[in-house]
Amino acid sequence: MSVLQLWLNLGLNTLSLASLLAMLTVGLTLIFGIMRIMNFAHGAMYMFGAYVGISAAQWAGNFWAGLLLAALSAAAVGAIFESGLLRHLYKRDASSFLLITFGLSLVLTESTRLGWGSNSRDVQLPEALAGVVFVMDEPFPLYRVFLIVFGLTALGILAIVILRSRLGLLIRSISQNAEMTQALGVNVGTIRTLTFAVGCGFAGLGGFLAVPLITGYIGMGSAAIIESFVIVMIGGMGSFLGSAVGSLLVATTQSFGNFYFPDLSLVVTYLLMIGVLLYRPGGLFGEEE
Amino acid sequence: MKYAVPVVAMLAAAPFALQSYQVTLLTEILIFALFAMSLDVQMGYARMFSFGHVLPYGVGAYACAFALQAGWPLPFAIAGAVLVATLLSIPIGWLSTRASGVAFAMLTLAFAQLGYAIVFKWNTFTGGSDGLTGFARNAGPFGFEGFVSRDGYFWLVLIVVFAMYWLARGFMNSAMGRAIVGVRENERRASAIGYVPRSLRVVAFVVSGALAGVAGSLHAGFLLFVSPEILHWTQSGHVIIAVILGGTGTLIGPMIGAALIVLAHHQLSAVTDSWPLVMGLLFIIVVIAAPKGLWGIKASLAARISLRRARPAGEKHAAS
Amino acid sequence: MPLLECSGLTKRWGAVTTVDDVSLTVDAGEVVALIGPNGAGKSTVFNLIAGAIKKTAGAVRFAGESVEHLSAYDLAQKGLSRTYQITCLFPQLTVLENVRLAVQARSPGRLRPMASKAFVDKTQAAAMEWLARVRLADCANRTAGQLSHGDQRLLEIATALALQPKLVLLDEPTQGMSVEETRATVRLLKSLLEDAPIAVLLVEHDLEVVFGVADRIVVLDQGRKIADGNPEAVRNDPAVQRAYLGVAHA
Repeated sequence: MSVLQLWLNLGLNTLSLASLLAMLTVGLTLIFGIMRIMNFAHGAMYMFGAYVGISAAQWAGNFWAGLLLAALSAAAVGAIFESGLLRHLYKRDASSFLLITFGLSLVLTESTRLGWGSNSRDVQLPEALAGVVFVMDEPFPLYRVFLIVFGLTALGILAIVILRSRLGLLIRSISQNAEMTQALGVNVGTIRTLTFAVGCGFAGLGGFLAVPLITGYIGMGSAAIIESFVIVMIGGMGSFLGSAVGSLLVATTQSFGNFYFPDLSLVVTYLLMIGVLLYRPGGLFGEEE
Repeated sequence: MKYAVPVVAMLAAAPFALQSYQVTLLTEILIFALFAMSLDVQMGYARMFSFGHVLPYGVGAYACAFALQAGWPLPFAIAGAVLVATLLSIPIGWLSTRASGVAFAMLTLAFAQLGYAIVFKWNTFTGGSDGLTGFARNAGPFGFEGFVSRDGYFWLVLIVVFAMYWLARGFMNSAMGRAIVGVRENERRASAIGYVPRSLRVVAFVVSGALAGVAGSLHAGFLLFVSPEILHWTQSGHVIIAVILGGTGTLIGPMIGAALIVLAHHQLSAVTDSWPLVMGLLFIIVVIAAPKGLWGIKASLAARISLRRARPAGEKHAAS
Repeated sequence: MPLLECSGLTKRWGAVTTVDDVSLTVDAGEVVALIGPNGAGKSTVFNLIAGAIKKTAGAVRFAGESVEHLSAYDLAQKGLSRTYQITCLFPQLTVLENVRLAVQARSPGRLRPMASKAFVDKTQAAAMEWLARVRLADCANRTAGQLSHGDQRLLEIATALALQPKLVLLDEPTQGMSVEETRATVRLLKSLLEDAPIAVLLVEHDLEVVFGVADRIVVLDQGRKIADGNPEAVRNDPAVQRAYLGVAHA
């Protein structure tokens, strides 16, 4: 394999990984941007969605059913949690939310473990996604191409909704000034619940999609939440562009790092984060406080 | 503080009054209480929510284990370990305090997880997931062996924990400690009187880390085994819940919270596999229903009682 | 040499100029008031001096040194203290501790890491003296956040003065106070300044306060300085009358 082929392979790997990370992190950013809540339970949602999706796919014999249910189940749990609990606590300060969502992550993770057991699980890829694609004479898993396309599509749709639709306009106005928006007659509570649910749904989606790459295992939530935190620190809290760019940067350090410095890829990622923070404490596209 | 001496005296009598497994449990409680108290310096006094407090704890534990493996006498091993934990806390504190609030929490978590990953992966040095064993509470200096036995080690832990409490109390009441509280109360006003908020926060972080390092090294000497699990971020949850349950900003509250958590953990682990579930629920309930923790509830009850006592006398002064 | 020397202060926000080439000085021990109708740029000048806003042009020198890039804490350590328009206290701490921290901040040993009863007693005693001077002594043990608005403003003044600065910047000290409270504050300020002459630069809307305490008055209008002199001269200055009343008096 020539260097060019190698780099192309690593590059495609990067893009598919970035796609997964972006789906996870965009959900987190959506929730933070609108509700100023850093959802610690996001990793647990990722894992929960993955497990529900795996079971659904097994039961229905269909990968796509798993995909759909992964997203919906995570969204449902998010909606219940937000409307049942978080909604009543908006007067509290940000640290309370961090702690409460931390507690939720423990509850959700442990409940999932109790429900599904500690063994790791896998999902069967459908025929259509199982093959390889040849890029410059090197085989590249078709599934990863699918991830790139799916990720771009999903994020593209989200971007259109947020930037162009009426719902998106309401969401953006709530993030700027919730009281004013409420005074204009908008049902802020419902939209918040919806936003939280969508954010969690993206996490669940990402979790299920990650299974063919990393298998579904109980610790996947922890790994995911740390990664998404690192991305958010790099990209800037509350910035979608930051999440996208951050995902790309972290995916790059991980893909290339895993190849060139196998045991140190995590360290490389952290060095990236430290570098960004030294240069811009708020993250690359973060709000200057 | 005036209750401290009787309490310590009572505890010192424990090995004579309790069974051996209870003395062991009490040792574990004391170590965790110190760990929780160390976090309170950050969380309660400086309002810095570190989710990575396991890092100085774990580093202290591993450093102590290495020193003991190398044959150092226990007191020196502990001292060396504390020094390592403290030195590490400086750059991490400096970097993490570039952010505040939620971002600070995430950063400290990320650093702790990095520590976990390094310890986990660096098999040759740290023993990886198997952890480190094969070390003992080395006697010395001068061949002193008082702390080698179970009871002896209990007394050592009791003395060290009490000493750390006394130091922490002294620090929080000092000029610097009060300035840290000022920064917490109103950063802008603290700046306006000439204090540098960021520097004070770094100091709080490092002091907190140093105390955690003490707890960690005591842990190594206690279990005579260390594994990466003590660095896992879910352990951060244990100590955070202890602090909140006990009451932030009181030093004593978190120690009591720690005792309750350890006891609950032991009791519940005997009957169920799902301690993390219980802990998660406890977390949510305590943060929502009792954010000031047990000590806070006691303080407001005490205030109400003293108000009620003051009223009949028709006092002019408000609650003292 | 003047204690505070501002030359050519200018602040532009895009096409809008809020402060246009304003120069003023404050000598040691002098009380200078900065007044002007709404929108004159008083607060902006104030914040430019205190370093809270970046200036577009101009220089600020304090005690002979340039204070270009100094933060609030550096300024405080150099002897420049300030109050804020929106009361800025340590809300959950006691009134006494609020002032004591200020006293502590200018004592040697302000960063001592071990507790010392002697230090606490000494600083508390000094703080109580300040509280006595502003007539808040019997509130010493109350939580600062529980005080009435007027008392909080007084507490903030006490805290600023307890730093024993060379120059104190008072940002609308009587804002939100009742007429009674305002008169009391004027009397208080006068007596405090008689005991220990500190330089004061204050921004005020209430002209009664201004004419009560100021040695010199600087008047701004639409970002420019239109008058600078003793109270009598300013009171009779036609430019000032025009700015405030729209018409010159005979």
